[in-house]
Amino acid sequence: MGTPNVVIDPITRIEGHLRVECEVENGVIKDAWSSCTLFRGMELVLKGRAPSDAFYVAQRICGVCPISHGHASTMSAEAALGITIPNGARIVRNIIEAAQYLHSHILWFYTLAALDYIDPGKALKADIANTYALAEQAGTSITDFKAVQTRLKGLVDGGQLSIFSNGWFDHPAYAQTMPPELALIAVAHYLEALEMQAEASRVIAIMGGKFPHFMTSLPGGTAWVPTEEKIDDVLFRLQRVRDWVYNTMIPDTLAIAPFYAGALSYGGGHGNFLAWGVFNKESMEMKDRYLPNGAVFAGALKTEPADPAKIREYVKHSWFKAEDGDLNPAQGKTNPEFTKYDVNDKYSWAKAPRYDGKPMEAGPLSRMLVAYLSGVKPVTAIVDLALGKLGAAGKPEVLVSLLGRVAARNLETAVVADWTLEWVTELVAALKGGDVKFFESSTATAGDGAGMWEAPRGALGHWMKVEDGRIANYQVCTPSTWNIGGRDDQGVTGVMEQALIGAPCIDPTRPMEAARIVRSFDP
Amino acid sequence: MAHEDQAFYDQLADRGVTRRHFLKFCGSVAAMLALNEAMVPTIAAAIEQAATSKLTPAVWLDGGLCTGCTESTAQSTYPDVATIVLDILSMNYMETIMYATGASAEQALKDTVEKNKGKFIMVYEGSVMTGWDGNALRIAGKPALEQILEVAPNAAAIIAVGSCAVDGGWVKSYPNPAKAMGISEYLKSQNISTPVINLPTCPVNPEWIVTMVVDVLLLGKLESGAILKELDEFGRPKIIFGQTIHDNCPRRGHFENGEFVYQFGSAEEAKGYCLYALGCKGPQTYTNCPTVRWNNQTSWCVESGSPCIGCGDFNWVDENAPFLNRFRRVGIGGYTQTGGYNPAKVATLAGGVVAGALVVHGVGMYAAGRIGDGPPVEKMKDYDRKRTKKGGDN
Repeated sequence: MGTPNVVIDPITRIEGHLRVECEVENGVIKDAWSSCTLFRGMELVLKGRAPSDAFYVAQRICGVCPISHGHASTMSAEAALGITIPNGARIVRNIIEAAQYLHSHILWFYTLAALDYIDPGKALKADIANTYALAEQAGTSITDFKAVQTRLKGLVDGGQLSIFSNGWFDHPAYAQTMPPELALIAVAHYLEALEMQAEASRVIAIMGGKFPHFMTSLPGGTAWVPTEEKIDDVLFRLQRVRDWVYNTMIPDTLAIAPFYAGALSYGGGHGNFLAWGVFNKESMEMKDRYLPNGAVFAGALKTEPADPAKIREYVKHSWFKAEDGDLNPAQGKTNPEFTKYDVNDKYSWAKAPRYDGKPMEAGPLSRMLVAYLSGVKPVTAIVDLALGKLGAAGKPEVLVSLLGRVAARNLETAVVADWTLEWVTELVAALKGGDVKFFESSTATAGDGAGMWEAPRGALGHWMKVEDGRIANYQVCTPSTWNIGGRDDQGVTGVMEQALIGAPCIDPTRPMEAARIVRSFDP
Repeated sequence: MAHEDQAFYDQLADRGVTRRHFLKFCGSVAAMLALNEAMVPTIAAAIEQAATSKLTPAVWLDGGLCTGCTESTAQSTYPDVATIVLDILSMNYMETIMYATGASAEQALKDTVEKNKGKFIMVYEGSVMTGWDGNALRIAGKPALEQILEVAPNAAAIIAVGSCAVDGGWVKSYPNPAKAMGISEYLKSQNISTPVINLPTCPVNPEWIVTMVVDVLLLGKLESGAILKELDEFGRPKIIFGQTIHDNCPRRGHFENGEFVYQFGSAEEAKGYCLYALGCKGPQTYTNCPTVRWNNQTSWCVESGSPCIGCGDFNWVDENAPFLNRFRRVGIGGYTQTGGYNPAKVATLAGGVVAGALVVHGVGMYAAGRIGDGPPVEKMKDYDRKRTKKGGDN
């Protein structure tokens, strides 16, 4: 019988709506419940529509990762209708997807998560000369730190704190030993990051019309036809973002992380990881991607191929009718029915997906572990570098933790940033080689298909059944369903719930550590 | 003209924004507001003043959303989102970016409403979720409808951002599983009369939010009530939603010449031909996307090679799907029409016939009085009438 005594609702600085309840005893979280509190019904809206419509509508599931939903949807339609997209379209899609990764990860670290680790009030105490010295020592970029501090001071003195109203300034869970100068650097880069995430999304605007919600990766390939001028524009922006990631985001990560080394010892959870893989190679095979497909189970540092047939979704604790339970999404059903919120009965609009019966974490940590264990070169190099800095050389298992999850996302940003430049070169080479096809049409009117892909926040699947030219059934299993889904029919906790259990909570009225763990999933 | 505040320009310079950049931004705002260039100094002075005096309090409520409108707002460049929420507005509650969380966040909302009754701006993003007595969306342990009822009556004005907030958006599409609706409709059902400014499209274009902030707040049109005269019968600013995409489309010339793209990724697309044959909803969609564009004026849907899907239309998914057809079909929400997903068939329908059909459509809209103060839809040019076998209005 669960008796939660700490509630966080709404969880801010995430996409959408989430409630978390914890049972805290003697400063430690003993039990936890995560509740998705919104149901919109995309799967029901898409039924009966044209297969190509799903691409445009399904991406509206998430305004932060619409590219990934668009791609998973369009891949499910292509699989159902027997379309293989031309190689040029594959490269274009990889670049658009990667630009969204850069956008999303930068936005996450600076705009959404940084305030959990950096007390902005502390930045007011920074000495400016020392701030420059520290930035140089950390190898991170410099800016007019005095101006940033003055702006911050103006905000505080003006008494209108705006988005900082009621924040948890001076919280004891902040690293007390962190110098104010590092806090000031982080605040300065918080502002800079706003421009860099926007720059990454301008790449999507060039190739996809706009961001969020892009227009071009429709079933069959891409509607965007590259021109010399536009490729040049894309390359310039990607180079700018890539340099900023290497010169600011990675050094910042490595400078801040040691102050939270304690977070290597909690927040890991079940320790099972799932990745469908992302960024197609010319083979277009799920088992042959830049960031590979794989499943890793607790206690064993090895990866095995991940098979979508092993998914089952459970609804005993979700607001869906019993007939929706214990199904693979390929046969999935959606019959919503709200009863009441009760952590001991039904408490979430998210189903509880399991893989081979197990709760699996989705996200950059899953992808980095699978890639590391698969020996993907740029991943092993940067992960080993980070492990060395954290004093855990040769111990990738420490990544199964709160800090590991945060670090994995930022390290992935660097890997993907490099790849984007490679892929622009690849696109130019394909164009020069006469590979000028970008779209393949189909006259098929029936079939079953799945699009297994990775959003920045983890493993994503769309399933489409087409009959008589229309969508007969549509199902989606998002990364956040894997991560924030609750207990299954056997009562086994969900991924985020388990990650919370055992974590400290030194101030139950301001559960900072719990909020950090929740946000580390970028739900 | 007001005194130029050096501190303000220093502050901009700190963010790499030169005075010239800033005045350029003010110029684009003036253009969007259909104001004379002589208004630029007034706008600049108003922004300066706002940035150096007490900020207008605002709260941003999240309904049944994808967060795309917040994301879109974060893509605004001049001013960037930090300027909007730190220097122009005091955004005391905005779930996606605010520092506070949980009960502390709720308290910030409560404080803002209590201390600023009738004086703060409420931005609403996402659909109003009425399904299961409002339990389709729960915030702070209760139906989110309660949050709306506590905040909306006390706001000076509400800006509904994005199609979901305006009329329920895709969430309301057939079969509307969670009984979604727009904020205006919901407030009406609750007899709440706070004025609502509707900014449709999916997501909202941040330039429009910026324009409204300048227009409504800084130029004082809310206090004077002048803003209400500038809205159409659907609560949309006429300056933004008064003309169709087709009216201002850079590919319009190809439409006039009967030069269409029949296949995605084709040589015709490379030449920038008209996307009407592939289902473009530009002719019936009222927004200024072609002139304002998206992501700091980087591009927009048609420029990237995609037909407009009419995300700024009312009930846009049911009205416009299948997006790649010129016609809707039977079976979705009781809408009636013919045909299925079949690009080949669309291609045969296009050409001259579509041009004629469009003129009829345009005249119909004109007769229905839906065209605002902008120029009327052009009748077909003689040149085209001679070239089309069946088309035209002759």
